[in-house]
Amino acid sequence: MITTLWLAVVLVCLLMYVVLDGYDLGVGVASLFERDTAHRRHLLESVAVGWDGNETWLILLGVALWAGFPAAFGTVLPHAYLPMIVMLFALVVRGVSVEMASQAPPARRWTTAFGVASLVASFGQGFTLGTLTSALHLRDGAFTGSAFGAFSWFAVLTGVTVTVGYTALGYAYTKQKSSGRLRESAGRRGLVTTAATAVLLAAVLVAINATAAPLNLSSAGRAFAFGGLLLFATGGAVTALVGFPWNRQSRAADALPLGGLIVATVSVFLALGVARYPVILPPDLTVGSAVGPHNTMVFLLIGIGLNMPMVLAYNVFAHRAFGGKLDSGAGAHS
Amino acid sequence: MSLLGLSRWQFAITVMFHMTFPAITVGLSILLCVVYALYWRTGRAVYLQMFRFWRRIFAVGFAIGVVAGAVITFQMGLNWGVYGAKTGPVIGPIIGMEVVTAFFVEAGFIGVLLYGDGRVRKATMFAATVMVALGTLLSSTWIIAANSWMQTPAGYRIVDGRFEPTNWTQVIFNPSFLWRWPHMLAAVLISAGFFVAGVSAWYLVQGRAVGFARRSMSIALGVAALLMPVQLYLGDNVAGHELPYQLPKLEAIEGNWDNGNTGFILFAIPDQAAARNIAALDIPCLGSAIAKDLSCRTAMPGLKLTPAAGRPNMAATFWGFRVMFLAALLMFGTTFAATVLRIRNRLWTARRFHRFVLCTTPAGILAILGGWVTAEAGRQPWVVFGQLRTSAAVSRLAPGEVLFSVLGFSTLYLIMLLAYVVYLVRVLRIGPERDHPRHERPPDTPDSSVPDSAGVPVRREVAVR
Repeated sequence: MITTLWLAVVLVCLLMYVVLDGYDLGVGVASLFERDTAHRRHLLESVAVGWDGNETWLILLGVALWAGFPAAFGTVLPHAYLPMIVMLFALVVRGVSVEMASQAPPARRWTTAFGVASLVASFGQGFTLGTLTSALHLRDGAFTGSAFGAFSWFAVLTGVTVTVGYTALGYAYTKQKSSGRLRESAGRRGLVTTAATAVLLAAVLVAINATAAPLNLSSAGRAFAFGGLLLFATGGAVTALVGFPWNRQSRAADALPLGGLIVATVSVFLALGVARYPVILPPDLTVGSAVGPHNTMVFLLIGIGLNMPMVLAYNVFAHRAFGGKLDSGAGAHS
Repeated sequence: MSLLGLSRWQFAITVMFHMTFPAITVGLSILLCVVYALYWRTGRAVYLQMFRFWRRIFAVGFAIGVVAGAVITFQMGLNWGVYGAKTGPVIGPIIGMEVVTAFFVEAGFIGVLLYGDGRVRKATMFAATVMVALGTLLSSTWIIAANSWMQTPAGYRIVDGRFEPTNWTQVIFNPSFLWRWPHMLAAVLISAGFFVAGVSAWYLVQGRAVGFARRSMSIALGVAALLMPVQLYLGDNVAGHELPYQLPKLEAIEGNWDNGNTGFILFAIPDQAAARNIAALDIPCLGSAIAKDLSCRTAMPGLKLTPAAGRPNMAATFWGFRVMFLAALLMFGTTFAATVLRIRNRLWTARRFHRFVLCTTPAGILAILGGWVTAEAGRQPWVVFGQLRTSAAVSRLAPGEVLFSVLGFSTLYLIMLLAYVVYLVRVLRIGPERDHPRHERPPDTPDSSVPDSAGVPVRREVAVR
C-alpha cells in the first residue's frame, strides 16, 4: 500500500516534470528555428520566470526515487550514466544562459546557447528513457554494466521522439504566450511537430516490443487500461491538431493546443507505465525489490506528501503572477 | 588515476563550484529583504537602488547555484550508486524535505523577485523576497542536517548493509548538527557581508555612487562585525562537539604525526606515505593554550594513533583548516578595525581602509571552502563516518566514463565561473547609477550624482555605459 502511494508520488513528479519542463525545453528548441532576434528573446523571456520551478520537479523526481526506491536510484543512474551526464551539462548551460541573457541583454550568444542546450537536454532525457528498456547488469545489488551497454537505436528513437514532443509543447505554450506573427508561426509549426510526434510515438510503441522490456498486456485489465489511455492520448492530440492552426484571437484558440497536448502526454506516460508495472528495469529490478524500509516510507508520505499541495500552490502562483501575453506588453525584464 | 580517485575529484570539483555561489547568494537574499523593507518603510530612492543593484548580482549567482546543486543530487546515484542505495533511506528523505520546503519556495517566488518590478505591488514584492530568503535558509538547514549525519551518524540501524532510520529526531538532530548549523548560517552571512563590503569599497575608492556604497558597506560590515565574534565561538564549539567523534580529523587538523606536541603547528608540509612532516613551523605551548591549559602540559594527539588505513589525508585537512582559520582571523581583524573607525567617525574618510576591504572581498568565500575541505577530507576514508568507506560507496563505472565527466564538468564550470566573473565586472563597471529611480527619467535629462550624506567631497559620478 505504502509502496503504491509512493509510486504515485513518483509518477506525479515525472508527469509534472515532463509537462512543465517539456514546454520549457521545447520553447528553447523552438528558439533555434526562429530567425528574428526579437522573437528569440521573447521565447527566452517567456520561460525566464518559470524554468527554475519547472526544473525543480526533476530534482524532486530524482530524490523521490532515491529516498523511496534507493536500490533503483543507485543502479539505474550508473546504467544511464553518459546520457544523464550530458543532459546535466546541458541543464547547467541552459539555466545560466537564461539568467545571463535576461540580466544582460542582448546577449545573442547566450540566447543561442539556451537553444542548443535545450535541444541537447531534451534529446538526453529521451535517450535516458530509452535506456530503461535495456537489461541492467547487477552483482550483489551493485551496478556492473559497461559504459555503452545501455545504448541502442531504440534509445535514439526515444530521444528524437521526446525532443519533437517537447518542441510541440513549446509551440503550444508559445501560442498561448504571444500574439501576431509569432503566434501564427507557432500555430503552423506546432501542427507539424504534433503530427511528427504522433508518428514517432507509433514507431516507439512498435519498436519497444523488440527490446528487453516489451509491453506487458497479458491481462485484460492491463490491455483495457492501455487501450483506453491511448484513446485519450489520441483525443488530446486531435484537439491540439485542431487548435494549432486556429488563428482567431480567443482564449479557446490559445488554450486548446496546450490542453490537448498535456492530456496526450500524461496519457501516453500512464499507458507506458501500465504496460510496464512493476518492472523498473529489465530483467528483474521491480518496484517491490527496490523499495525503502517502512520507517522511511512513512516519513516520506507524511513529510513530502503533506507538502505537495504547497508545492503545487507555489507553481500555480509563479505561473499566474506572469499570466498574459508577453510580446504585447513589456518584456520579462527591462 | 583510479576510479575512486577520479570520482572523488569529480565530487570535489562540482561541490566546491556549487558552494561558491550559496556563499554569496544566501546572505544577499537576506540583504535584499532588509533593503526592500527599508525602501518600503522610508520610500528613499537609495534603498531601491541598492535592491536593484544587488539583485543583479544575486540573480545570476542564484541560477548557477541552482543548476550546480541539481547536478550534485544526481551524482549521489550516478557516481556514488552504492552510497545512494545504502544511505537513501536516511539521506534521501532529508534532501526530499529540502526540495519541497526550500527549492520549490525559492523557485515559486524567484520569478517575482527578479522580474516583478512594475508588475506586482510592493507588498507582494517584499513577500516574494522574504520567501526566497526563507527558502535559501531552509535549504542550508536540511543540507547541514544530511551532511552532519554523515559526520556523526545517529538514529539508524544497519539491515543487510543498508542504513535504515530508527529515530528521525536523532537522525536530523544528530550530535554535530546543532553546532554546525548555526556555524554554517553565520558563515554564509559573513561571506556575503565581505563580498558586499568589498564591492562597495571599490566604489568608495573610485568615488562613484557614494551614497549607495556607504549604505551597502555600513550594513555589510555591521552584520559581519556582530557575527564574527559569535562565529569564532561557534567554530570552537563545532570542533568541540564533532571532533570527539572523529579523532583522526582532529589529529590531521593539528598536523601532528606523533603524540606529545604541546605547541601549535602554524605551517606544515606533510608526507602522508612516510607519516612525517617534511617541514613544519611550530609555536611552542600555543596548542596547549588553545586547549584551555596555559601551563603548557596538554599535548595534541598525533595521526599515528589512527591505523594507516583509517587516516585522512593530512595535507588537505590541515590546509583546509588553516585557510578557514586564517581567513576568519583576517575578517575578525577587519570588522574590528571597521568598528573602531566607525566609532571614531572616520570610516568614510579612511581611504586606505577602503582599499584593504576591497582586497578582503573573497575572504568569506575562501573560509567556507576551506571549512568544507576540512570537514570532508578530514572524514575520509569514510563517507559515513565509521560505517561506510568511500572506496566501497563508489559506482563501478568504466574509468573512462568518469574521466569524461570530470573533464566535462571542469571545462564547463571553468567557463561558467569565467562568465560569472565577466558578468560581475560588467555589472560593476556599469555601476549602480542606472538602478537609481531618477535614472528612469527621459534620456535627455542629465544624470546627476547620488546625494552625498556625510559632507565628504565626492567626485561626480560617471555613467560608464
